[in-house]
Amino acid sequence: MKRQIPLMIVVILGSMFVVHTFVPHKISADFFDWFQDWIKAISPFAILLGVISLSMVNGTKIKRKAPNWQYSVVTLIGLAFTAIAGFVWGTQTGTPYMWLFKNVQMPMGATMFSLLAFYIASAAYKAFRARSTEATVLLIAAVIVMLGQVSLGAMISKWIPITSKWILNVPNLAAKRAIMIGVGLGMTATSLKILLGIERTYLGGGK
Amino acid sequence: MKKSTLKLLDKMQKVDRRIIYIIVAFSIIIPLLIPFNSKTYVTEPTSNIYQKVDSFAGDDTKAVLMSFTHNASTMPELFPMEVALLRHCFERDIKVLTICWLPAAAPLVDYAINQAKEGYDVQSGVDYCNFGYKPYALRLPIMLGMGDDIAKAVETDSQGRKIENLEIMNNIKNYDDMNIIVDFAGNSSAIQWIMYARAKFGANIAAGITAVMVADNYPYLQTGQLLGMFRGLKGAAEYEKLVDVFAAYESDKFPNGRPFSKEIINDTWVPITRDKVTYEVDGKMIETDADLQYKFKKARIGMNAQSVAHVMIIVFIILGNIGFFLTKKKKKKIV
Repeated sequence: MKRQIPLMIVVILGSMFVVHTFVPHKISADFFDWFQDWIKAISPFAILLGVISLSMVNGTKIKRKAPNWQYSVVTLIGLAFTAIAGFVWGTQTGTPYMWLFKNVQMPMGATMFSLLAFYIASAAYKAFRARSTEATVLLIAAVIVMLGQVSLGAMISKWIPITSKWILNVPNLAAKRAIMIGVGLGMTATSLKILLGIERTYLGGGK
Repeated sequence: MKKSTLKLLDKMQKVDRRIIYIIVAFSIIIPLLIPFNSKTYVTEPTSNIYQKVDSFAGDDTKAVLMSFTHNASTMPELFPMEVALLRHCFERDIKVLTICWLPAAAPLVDYAINQAKEGYDVQSGVDYCNFGYKPYALRLPIMLGMGDDIAKAVETDSQGRKIENLEIMNNIKNYDDMNIIVDFAGNSSAIQWIMYARAKFGANIAAGITAVMVADNYPYLQTGQLLGMFRGLKGAAEYEKLVDVFAAYESDKFPNGRPFSKEIINDTWVPITRDKVTYEVDGKMIETDADLQYKFKKARIGMNAQSVAHVMIIVFIILGNIGFFLTKKKKKKIV
């Protein structure tokens, strides 16, 4: 039963959604409204589940004094303090929650993302060597796209942004579309397998 | 002699990554601290968004919907675009609605609106409305629901007010009344708007994305499913310039901004080192009374840093390749 009931829910609801997409009938529209209400009721449980899971994982780490357990303390304090700040004073401008966002989350998030620039610089220097014809093509394309992305490229020559646009519009699109078509076909096949009950690994519990 | 030359060439190929990091850091920090004037070339994907948004200026039967699907990590690139678009809407009396799908994006929307609205006579619920945070799990039902009735799909705004009772929603019922929907994200989340809002209801979709994700979204731009695209910080810088040159333009002939023109945008530059908005046309400077506030030129200052950083990366690549080729040549000679 543990596997059969979820399987039945997936097969029945999945098939109903396929019908809903193609049949613009009132019953179909009503079914969709009913589904919307259900989703609204279910989604808050996901947040609750997340908070419980985060607390349990980090709580266990602290209790067992696992390596780097101090970070778990910071995580839990951060979780509790942000939640309390939001619940007590609200989330509008001028509240402690907004202060935390502006002075802690924003700079930390931006710092993490900005590290990408340094890694890209170092990786580009090491990887872009004209060792073969393919590597040379990649190297030239990278330099043109990099210059085309900044105004300096257009100042050097009007052909740099034009060539950069061509690289993105022709070779890049050819590869991207091929990947996307492959992924799309794979998704359709997997969805069909799930709807027909052939693919059951998402239920867990091995084969 | 030969050995010492080889050693030097070898060093050129094996520059320590810490040296690369420090040089890249300086090439970013210095242009940010000491801004300089550089030209901003406006590209079609950005000007398409501008023209679409501007086409319903002053029309209270249409609204722009801004969808925030990112958190603080991608703010340096996406925030200036959001502020520039909001500023455009406030300048040209265009209704603007905002919605976000991540808890961390909620304060970000408030922050963007508060930054952009300073100095404008705009009111929440009348000129703009923040629908607030809606859980990502509800994204699909809300997206589809908005095609029939926005007030029913979204229900309340960020302040808990019933959407249907807000003045801004007069004449705005569903996607038919949307001027354009712009999704801001560090991924390809605009695809969902294309699949559901565009394919099913014919809504106009545009995307504001980080530069690293541009290539992934290009197929939709080429097919026209994406009406336009802010391509990273460059897109934000282009939009800032468009707003300065057209939407914020004031003269006796055009008291509330002037219409978009390709000729004007190609021939006009806005120097960012000046305190006042100044138009440079054919070398002549036309200074206006309007302040060129830092928040409205942030992307253009950032583009200076990006330009220098790109040049530095290219210099490193060239250095590495020179070392690589010369070493190869020398080694052949020695053998």
